[in-house]
Amino acid sequence: MNSIHDDDIDALLRQSFDGPIADDGFCDRVMQQLSRRRRPSAWPLAAGVLVGAAMCSLSLFTSPLWRAAWHGWLVGEWSNSSIIMLSIMAGMSLLALAWTLAEADDH
Amino acid sequence: MADSAAEARIDQILVARALLGDDRRAFEQLVRRNQGMVRAQLRRLLQGDEAAADDLAQETFLLAWRKLGQFRSEARFSTWLHRIAYGCFLQACRTKSWAARHAQDDEMEHLPTPVQAMDLRLDLARAMRHLSTAEQTVLLHCAQLGLSHEEAAYVLAMPLGTVKTHATRGKAKLKTWLAAWHDAAGEERIP
Repeated sequence: MNSIHDDDIDALLRQSFDGPIADDGFCDRVMQQLSRRRRPSAWPLAAGVLVGAAMCSLSLFTSPLWRAAWHGWLVGEWSNSSIIMLSIMAGMSLLALAWTLAEADDH
Repeated sequence: MADSAAEARIDQILVARALLGDDRRAFEQLVRRNQGMVRAQLRRLLQGDEAAADDLAQETFLLAWRKLGQFRSEARFSTWLHRIAYGCFLQACRTKSWAARHAQDDEMEHLPTPVQAMDLRLDLARAMRHLSTAEQTVLLHCAQLGLSHEEAAYVLAMPLGTVKTHATRGKAKLKTWLAAWHDAAGEERIP
């Protein structure tokens, strides 16, 4: 008995496929239906950043840690609270940088 | 292979142009370059229903236009389109009656042996119809549309191992069913 190999089946399947369909006006019909794509607006992001910054400032102003850190910076001494505040700010900045780089890479 | 990589790069450049300036002409080029294979895919999936296939192809490109910003280049643009097209097909199957066409799946393990060596293409088409839906779909994408197993897995949202299993099983069934044709052809050649 003659055996059929996988390659024969692949070749048969390829031969039985008629290939790409001719355009025949299809592209024009699609382009007529195309609506204007809405650009994602930037205002939600900007508003989110502003609201977040405002909430953060409000909560920090009442915190003794912030006052102690601010006082330390004003007198030019490195207190524990000023180091903690600086570390938090540096950490937040690094996170924002990583997020921005990841988004830029995706696009 | 190099041609395919070059085609994929051209598609990527056109996608970037279409996204940057809302460039409809760039998208038109993308439609022109890819419509043939997407429509062929859908015609096969819909078993030759040209009108329905073209409707779904149109829906595919309109969806691609709306979702173009979500294209992440994790696959070739053409593969991404095939994935959208397959999604549209599945959606249509859920709402319409095309799914019923596969009701006879797995009913038949053996085709009747042909008395004479008939046209092999017809026999193959007939044999293909008796494969399971998954086997047919995988063989369509891998053997006919020319996608790799990985690309077919992406388009069909199937695990890679499942795609390979369906491809192997489908080919094994076709080999068994077409062996009679092959034998008949061999006997005709031997006096």
